[in-house]
Amino acid sequence: MNRTRSYLTAYVMLLPALLLMGIFTLYPVLYSVYLSFTQYTALELGAGKPPVWNGLENFRVVFSDPLYQTGVLNSLKYLLVVPVLQLVSLSVAVLVNQKLAGIAFFRAGYYIPVITSISLAAVMWEWVYAKDGLINATLQAVGLLERSSAFSWLLNENTALWAIMLVTFWQGFGYYMVLYLAGLQSISTELEEAARLDGASRVQIFWRITVPLMRPTLLVCSLLSTLAALRVLQEIMVFTGGGPLNSTYTALFYVYSKAFQNFDYGQAAAAGMGVALVGFLLSGLNFRLTRENYREGK
Amino acid sequence: MLKKLAFVGLSLLASSAFAQQKTQIEFWSWYLSPKFDDFIKGVISDFEKANPTITVKWQDKGATIERDFQATIALGQAPDVVNFWNDSTAAAVQANLLVPITDLTPLATLNKAYWPNVLNIFKIEGKYYGYPWYGYVDQGVMMYNTELLRKAGVSVSKIKTLDDLIEASKTVKAKTGSYGWLPPIKDPNGASFLNWFYLDGLPITQSGKAVFNSPAHAAVLQKYVDLMKADVIPQDLLRKEAFQLTNELYSQGKATFIVGGPQSLTRVKDSNADIYSKTKVVGAPLGKAKVQSGGAFSLVIPRASKHPKEAALFAQFMSNNTNQVKFAKVVPIVPTTKGAERDASLKATGSKDPIAIATGKVAGTGKLINPGFAAPKNTDAVYKNFNDNIEAAFLGKKSAQQALSDAVTFWNENAK
Repeated sequence: MNRTRSYLTAYVMLLPALLLMGIFTLYPVLYSVYLSFTQYTALELGAGKPPVWNGLENFRVVFSDPLYQTGVLNSLKYLLVVPVLQLVSLSVAVLVNQKLAGIAFFRAGYYIPVITSISLAAVMWEWVYAKDGLINATLQAVGLLERSSAFSWLLNENTALWAIMLVTFWQGFGYYMVLYLAGLQSISTELEEAARLDGASRVQIFWRITVPLMRPTLLVCSLLSTLAALRVLQEIMVFTGGGPLNSTYTALFYVYSKAFQNFDYGQAAAAGMGVALVGFLLSGLNFRLTRENYREGK
Repeated sequence: MLKKLAFVGLSLLASSAFAQQKTQIEFWSWYLSPKFDDFIKGVISDFEKANPTITVKWQDKGATIERDFQATIALGQAPDVVNFWNDSTAAAVQANLLVPITDLTPLATLNKAYWPNVLNIFKIEGKYYGYPWYGYVDQGVMMYNTELLRKAGVSVSKIKTLDDLIEASKTVKAKTGSYGWLPPIKDPNGASFLNWFYLDGLPITQSGKAVFNSPAHAAVLQKYVDLMKADVIPQDLLRKEAFQLTNELYSQGKATFIVGGPQSLTRVKDSNADIYSKTKVVGAPLGKAKVQSGGAFSLVIPRASKHPKEAALFAQFMSNNTNQVKFAKVVPIVPTTKGAERDASLKATGSKDPIAIATGKVAGTGKLINPGFAAPKNTDAVYKNFNDNIEAAFLGKKSAQQALSDAVTFWNENAK
């Protein structure tokens, strides 16, 4: 009786949050799934007509669109930023997890890009990537680039996407570093001390004790950064608008254009489903890898 | 006493009933707040005084205006008057979201108030959809940095045509390292490059079909491709809109000419007073066809408006000659109304201020505003393909001829 009552109390307490989640998360998700199977453009919207069921037509149109394929490919390339971001964030977190004078200055310094608005960051990075910008000037100074061969990194289809990925990396690593730092500080120092007494080296302690105990944090960080990389839009809009030659045109940029430039909500929803599916698969992979490793670690 | 109380009570009831009869309309402007708050609020206040049964709720929107417009229609809360531009008006008409304004205002009244060329910008499939509000001309005036021209040894009196301007830009770049003129190449909301065909008198469409792929068109494109290759015009024009980049570079003393409306100078004045003081203004050079291009902003009435009649009244009031002239005094726009060209207050008699001179020169050019071509159907997809092809030519991935032929093929297959 008491147990039932405590369950009931718990659900009553959860109800407001569940209700809000249902309205603002679950309903929009389910509605977009429905929209992806319908014809719903500005014409239906303007005439006040409901979406018209058209089966798999949106998926056929979207998935056979070369622009969408380019977008998906670019989004997948963008995911390469994730392992680098995680590795560097974790390494920096280990470095700043020291009791040194002035360490708080470094911790705060690494976090500043996280709170810098993308518009402000764009001013700086545009200067870095310009034809007569910092990177080219440095390469010219060390003799790696002829002045006549200088180019804008954001206007070369071979470098533009990587250039934007670097901005994502620069803006993101402070955030993940803080999460890792919190994880590191929750690990009992006794475990490390015991290992040290048993003769373990620093590298062994890191891989055998720190990393296994950090796996829940690793899961959260890699999951968050994977989804953030898949949903990248702001940086693309600010720096290149999808160019040059669609080399920075991502899948989510396609979804945005379909919905808010072409006003084809059905096709936008279908394209969004494709992105969501990739995100879903990658999230599953993340869970699987970390869970298995976690067991091994135990 | 009872009589008095009854009288007060009845008066209150009557006034509240009157208040309930007031109609509220919602007006959306585009990127006008906070800089022009005083002007907009002033016009709204004048309108409400002249129309005591109508109140206006104003919201200023930014980049998301089209998205928000769709969303509010879906929610059944559409605004009543919306500030759009050439292409967004066309896109909304294609989506059947707007009321033809001739359903609300007689054509004779419109013809009397606005220049026909501007009314025609918003004429789509034979119907008018936008009350013309403030306009702009792409070649209104040419503003130039006197110091850079002096250093380059270029005389402004010799710049009469676009080809002269290109030659002057080459000289300025060679002698000073600064850019000369930055022509619009591509932009996210339009197909800027088509303007260069129009200004040279080359056809863009004929009988509804795109025809801008002749050798003459390809030669025009190749001319600009070569200019970018030689760094006479910056490659960043492929990434940023020309007006934005021109403003940035001109304010830093890295560009010599601004061709367009005087509104560009407002930003220069704010960001670099020294360069502003070295700026002079002359008439803009024109292309071979000796025509100007330009556009206008519209005030449109959504089909979903609950108060179209009141909305039409407000749109007419906001865009009438008195209020457009007032607006032109606040910011150098080009009024689209007949009569503004005769308004003495817009003449720059005796002033040496570049903005005042430029404003005086363009104030009467409303009758010259012409976008040069009508937006095709399926506008966004067709323009994106056009811009992609133009970009491919500039980046050396396609020949000029190939890029234009591909764009024409896509246009004719998709602009249906």
